[in-house]
Amino acid sequence: MRSLHLLPGLQRLAALICVAVCALTATAQDPFPQLHQDLNNSRIRIAAADFKASGSDPTTPAQKHTFDTVLFSDLQNAGIFDLVSKSMQPSASPGYPAEINLAQWSAPPASASMVAFGNFVVQGGRVIVNGFLDDAKNSQFPQVFAKQYNEVAGEDSARQIAHRFADEIIFRLGGGINGIAESKIYYIKLGGPNDKEIWEMDYDGANQHPITHLGTISMSPRVSPDNSRLAFSALDMSAGFTVKMYSLLLGRMVTFSGGSNSGAPAWTSDGNQIAFSSSRSGHPEIWVADTEGRIAHQVTNFGSDTSPTWNPKTNAQIAFISGRSKLPQLYIMESDGSGVQRMTDGGYASSPSWSPNGQFLAFAWDRKYGPGAPGGQDIYVMEVASKRWIQLTHDEGRCDFPTWSPDGRHIAYASSAGGRAANSKIMTMLVDGTQKHALTSAGADMPNWSWK
Amino acid sequence: MALTLTARPLANEKFGSGLTLAIVLHVVLAVGILTAAFVNPFNIDRWGGHESTEGAIQASIVDSLPLPPKAPPVDKAVLVQPDVTPAPAPPPKEATVAPPKETDVLIKGKTAPKTVKVEAPAPPKHPQPTPATTKAATGEAATQIPQSIAKNSVGQAALTVQDHVFGQRYAYYFDAVQRTINQNWFGREADPRTSMGKSVKLIFDINHDGTPSNIRVETSSGSPSLDLSAVHALQRVDTFGPLPSGNKQTVEDTFTYRPQ
Repeated sequence: MRSLHLLPGLQRLAALICVAVCALTATAQDPFPQLHQDLNNSRIRIAAADFKASGSDPTTPAQKHTFDTVLFSDLQNAGIFDLVSKSMQPSASPGYPAEINLAQWSAPPASASMVAFGNFVVQGGRVIVNGFLDDAKNSQFPQVFAKQYNEVAGEDSARQIAHRFADEIIFRLGGGINGIAESKIYYIKLGGPNDKEIWEMDYDGANQHPITHLGTISMSPRVSPDNSRLAFSALDMSAGFTVKMYSLLLGRMVTFSGGSNSGAPAWTSDGNQIAFSSSRSGHPEIWVADTEGRIAHQVTNFGSDTSPTWNPKTNAQIAFISGRSKLPQLYIMESDGSGVQRMTDGGYASSPSWSPNGQFLAFAWDRKYGPGAPGGQDIYVMEVASKRWIQLTHDEGRCDFPTWSPDGRHIAYASSAGGRAANSKIMTMLVDGTQKHALTSAGADMPNWSWK
Repeated sequence: MALTLTARPLANEKFGSGLTLAIVLHVVLAVGILTAAFVNPFNIDRWGGHESTEGAIQASIVDSLPLPPKAPPVDKAVLVQPDVTPAPAPPPKEATVAPPKETDVLIKGKTAPKTVKVEAPAPPKHPQPTPATTKAATGEAATQIPQSIAKNSVGQAALTVQDHVFGQRYAYYFDAVQRTINQNWFGREADPRTSMGKSVKLIFDINHDGTPSNIRVETSSGSPSLDLSAVHALQRVDTFGPLPSGNKQTVEDTFTYRPQ
């Protein structure tokens, strides 16, 4: 009897040992750098139907084509959807909720759980779009939202309406993060050996046009959080590189007293302060000033500190690049200069950018720097709290200047094949390194994504 | 005086009988204790013993292990001979005579009272309003089906919206809520020794602007680290996006630990 009752105890011991061993092996086998961007396994399957055209205006088909194409690519670029290919969609293009047969869309091959559809009219010089989003799985209450857009007719309007409609869909389905379809990217366009101007384009590479005409070398554009001003550094014949300010509202330069030999401006997310690098005390240090360059005070004091970027979530921390231990490394500190922490363990780090939610730092890093060392400069993302990192670009030439999209789901960067500056073009990707594609042709550098 | 006491020779004292008595008594006492230990005359309960009145400790040990079910009793006894002596048939029931009824014996001068059957008039047929039932006919004990279930590398989270109609009307919104929480739930925060399938149930409110508030643990999983990881997942969320309607919505979320 007694021995029989010992048996469960032994079994329990065996089970405990088994669990402990399993747990140990599980932790040992975990891959070391692991960020939880599991966008892949939880994407919403959405179908963007071709809108139904009506009206007799001859420009309608062309504008509608632009609209359909832009809407499709916006939803695809968002990175949270699994988009139904156009060839798998039902042939009918519904224009109103009464005309749609949701069962047809939710059945294979479309298998959509959401359908975006509507109608497109050009009438009397105006384009009117009614857009609907239906939940194909919810037979009782299918409609998620309905919106009407009314703009002056034109290709550009069709594009803007598609961006807004896509942003609305992303906002409703993406868990409250605004879409980026209306955001802009500012960048440096290489004109000639002594001519680098600031240009602006839509987030998808469309609508590229120049902003400044200074006839000099401009660098590191940084747009203010309210999209009203552009801080950058430009070569001044008398004072070297200095921080300048351009008003996008007034269309001209406004004052900023950065002093000689200053550069790399960075806005706080409230738009009240600018951190920049200045050599006014003899060697490059990080300074913080207000938006006109007044009340400047020095934050670091260790020699060659540059490329500051604020933690946009709190505005209480600054990440920067410092050469205090020979090769440039990534550091973070509190915004008053205390609590300096080194983030990278070696190599050559440059151009940090802090993610909008404050959790990650993107930066360019050459991990094995030196003559004959393997690898090259690539884009990395590091989780600030744990200092774990992942590499996002591989074997595509020299990559630099990562910048976060306002939704924190994308990173734009400059990539130059063969390491030649003239080859540099602006690329974009999701933060997990997928969906890479070029936004510009060669001759574009230093992208900066607007805040909204 | 003291000097004379110590100087007295000890040989004069009578030790022999007293010493023997003490030794015998000690031996008897020792034997008695040993006997009592084996015989257990008072039938004292022992913890973890195998008596029918066993303690809670053993019960919990046996219950927590997935022991195979008890073997069913053998119903085919192969050793028993097929031609066993049949049981004697039960004795036949004795026929009993029912007692006579009152009407069986006729008594002259007494006739049975005539009864005239009068049919009761049918009640007037008016359409009667059926009272509005406040309860459903079924579903009293049924568990509420979760609004949405999503899996990630940690496990699965099942979301239940307290207001049932609201949950159906805005199903897409709660899908988005679910997805957002899932992306913010990091399995590394949970102790890897946590048992598979443990689940913690949280209740929280979604405000008008989509921010979660009032996060509280409704049912703990028994693993504090798993409970905390679920709470942290919600605390990491800034907003789910504004509520499609209403000012506040209470939501129940079950996190089940099932790492892959």
